[in-house]
Amino acid sequence: MKPLYRMLTAALVAAALAAPAYAAKDVVFAVASTFTTTDPYDANDTLSQAMAKSFYEGLFGFDKNMKLIPVLAESYTASPDGLTYTIKLKKGIKFQDGTDFNAEAVKVNFDRVTNPENKLKRYGLYSIIAKTEPLDDATVRITLKEPFSAFINDLAHPSGVMISPAALKQWGSKDIAFHPVGTGPFKFVEWKATDYLKVAKNENYWRKGYPKVDTITWKPVVDNNSRAALMQTGEAQFTFPVPYELADVLKSKPQLDVVAAPSIVLRYLSMNTQQKPFDNVKVRQAIAYAINKQALAKVAFSGYAVPADGVVPDAVEYSVKLGPWPYDLAKAKKLMAEAGYPNGFETELWSAYNHSTAQKVSQFLQQQLSQIGIRTRITLLEAGQRVEKVESWPDPKTAPVRLYYVGWSASTGEADWALRPLLFGDSWPPKLFNTAYYRSDKVDADIKGALASTDNAQKAKLYRDAQQTIWNDAPWAPLVTEKLLSAHSKKLSGVYVMPDASFDFTDIDLK
Amino acid sequence: MTQYIVKRLLGLLPTLVLVGFLVFLIVHLLPGDPARLAAGQDATPETVELVRKDLGLDKPLPQQFLRFVNGVLHWDFGQSLRTKRPVATEIGERFMPTFWLTVWSMLWSVVFGMAIGIVSAVWRNRWPDRVGMTLAVSGISFPAFALGMVLMQVFAVELNWLPTVGNDTWRHYILPSITLGAAVAAIMARFTRSSFVDILGEDFIRTARAKGLDEQRVIVKHGLRNALIPVVTMMGLQFGFLLGGSIVVEKVFNWPGLGRLLIDAVDMRDYPVIQALVLLFSLEFILINLIVDVLYGLINPTIRYR
Repeated sequence: MKPLYRMLTAALVAAALAAPAYAAKDVVFAVASTFTTTDPYDANDTLSQAMAKSFYEGLFGFDKNMKLIPVLAESYTASPDGLTYTIKLKKGIKFQDGTDFNAEAVKVNFDRVTNPENKLKRYGLYSIIAKTEPLDDATVRITLKEPFSAFINDLAHPSGVMISPAALKQWGSKDIAFHPVGTGPFKFVEWKATDYLKVAKNENYWRKGYPKVDTITWKPVVDNNSRAALMQTGEAQFTFPVPYELADVLKSKPQLDVVAAPSIVLRYLSMNTQQKPFDNVKVRQAIAYAINKQALAKVAFSGYAVPADGVVPDAVEYSVKLGPWPYDLAKAKKLMAEAGYPNGFETELWSAYNHSTAQKVSQFLQQQLSQIGIRTRITLLEAGQRVEKVESWPDPKTAPVRLYYVGWSASTGEADWALRPLLFGDSWPPKLFNTAYYRSDKVDADIKGALASTDNAQKAKLYRDAQQTIWNDAPWAPLVTEKLLSAHSKKLSGVYVMPDASFDFTDIDLK
Repeated sequence: MTQYIVKRLLGLLPTLVLVGFLVFLIVHLLPGDPARLAAGQDATPETVELVRKDLGLDKPLPQQFLRFVNGVLHWDFGQSLRTKRPVATEIGERFMPTFWLTVWSMLWSVVFGMAIGIVSAVWRNRWPDRVGMTLAVSGISFPAFALGMVLMQVFAVELNWLPTVGNDTWRHYILPSITLGAAVAAIMARFTRSSFVDILGEDFIRTARAKGLDEQRVIVKHGLRNALIPVVTMMGLQFGFLLGGSIVVEKVFNWPGLGRLLIDAVDMRDYPVIQALVLLFSLEFILINLIVDVLYGLINPTIRYR
């Protein structure tokens, strides 16, 4: 044994002298679905965009608490009329292919997404841009078609990344999805669509000392139990989402930590305000009173949710705390009687999802509403049905949706995208997702006013007024905000699930 | 024989054309707009229209059908609406994992199932029969996803003998093929048993015994061959089903196969992928039936082809 031992020691010493003495730090993330693309401008799922953060960065971004931070940008100034934004860029940053990141690169990227010819899925988010002009190497001026005060939040959205213009030129707008080149902490290695996507440390990353691990392997594992098994065997170091029923199993393992993070995923029950009996505000309020949100969080979400305390979740900018809406059966019954329905009525209750949590929620709501005499028929819509019967129903007058259980996460982290798609008078399906078919002139004016204003105090005031009005009109019964359950190995640090279910792994490290 | 095979292969074409036509119609009749689904939840109407154009779904239906037929004739099945990769690549990558998993599952389940079936038939209504059939009934009634999870929990998580998910080495094949083959083994056992019980009551078996052949020869030579015909038919059917990719097993073991592809495709209304997959499955079934028919002749030389 001795000579062998000595040889091993010698080999180890040699290795230690040749390279810094640490083992390769390889991390495996087990995630819930396959990636649709690596091109954030052409992705609509949060997961693909979260993964793309491995190699791409935007001008702005969100930290793990959803606070807006500059990334490739240094600072910005908005003109008083809210039409032009002048952005100063950080200097000396290079793309992974060695080319320079500069104002011209910004122009190339925004010109690409705003050109309808390229048919990118995120066109809608950036179509507000009229033109992008490089003023000098590190300054760029973006002119908008109309004032849009949430514009910087659009830039911070995980889709607004900087792709190397050289790579775009080489591969073309479509094939760049298979050869991503950005400024990010990791370089793309390979994508086996059926199995995994692997990225490796970018040695020339502009943030010195980062990243602290050598590779990340993004492994889509569809089945909840299999993902949990992977965590228990140590084949993966991080997983999201963890289903509620498995939380306790994983918690009991000494090598794992289970984290419940706050989210901006709001669950609500929308009511079609254009149809009887939901055109009566008293009926809507009665429904909101009749639901015990605390019990709902316990029963359907195993306690991993909190009663919603407003129309816009806490972590979103300009949100106002108004609730939670109290559970008061006596008041609910009184309101129903005043509205002329002392014995209740029959109606449809649809759920936008057909997974087991949605099933529990629907049954719970059915039971709660029966307390005030409302008898509901439950339908859990499959994705295609949802699109057909709700999201693209052409005529608002005949829309079959009545009570509709759904959720929303405002991915730009700003009140505009939490209110405008869901409650603005012009956002009725099939345009956007105002499934309550709610229209209030006051709210519409507030939302428009806030978009046109660059004054933060003014915006806050308008958004407060809008949220208060909506709360009183009750087009929704706000239910709960979910918590996001993830699990990680105790050796892994610096990986967070953000409130919008994206990931922040800037500080990722493995012991 | 060769002539028969060629004739059958030619007969395959009209069937495939019919299947192609039907599947195109059915897929396009599914509720839900793929452009909207692909564009995602927070897409504006303009974006949905852009996506629709991008996917070629803005054209009238007959034109889309012609494009589909023309593509198929040129061995081009289009691009996946979901991933934008060629459908042929998507399917090609996943075919072999599903194929090998099917082969391994079939192999052990046929050997095991037939052995149980023969033993049960020979010792009918005695304890080997009781044990064998108890196993078979359990195999049929135990749902695959539950079996898969239990196996994974025991052998991968608790004992750490085998890997959990993936298909990189031969060790990855063990648990999924057991899970997938369990039901097939059970069916094969019951089929072999009943077929064998029938054969053992036939006159020629009595004759064989009467002329003094030893029991082993009676069973293996005279019994087995004749009992095989229905068993082979069943085998072919099961093989065809498994080749379609088991959705449940592939989900539990994260197997990169056709079953998961089909589920993803249906969820996103990924027309080209669904169409190509259904065509492929029909083709597989037709070919397997042909092979089964040819096998009949090998097993029983008195069968003639015309």
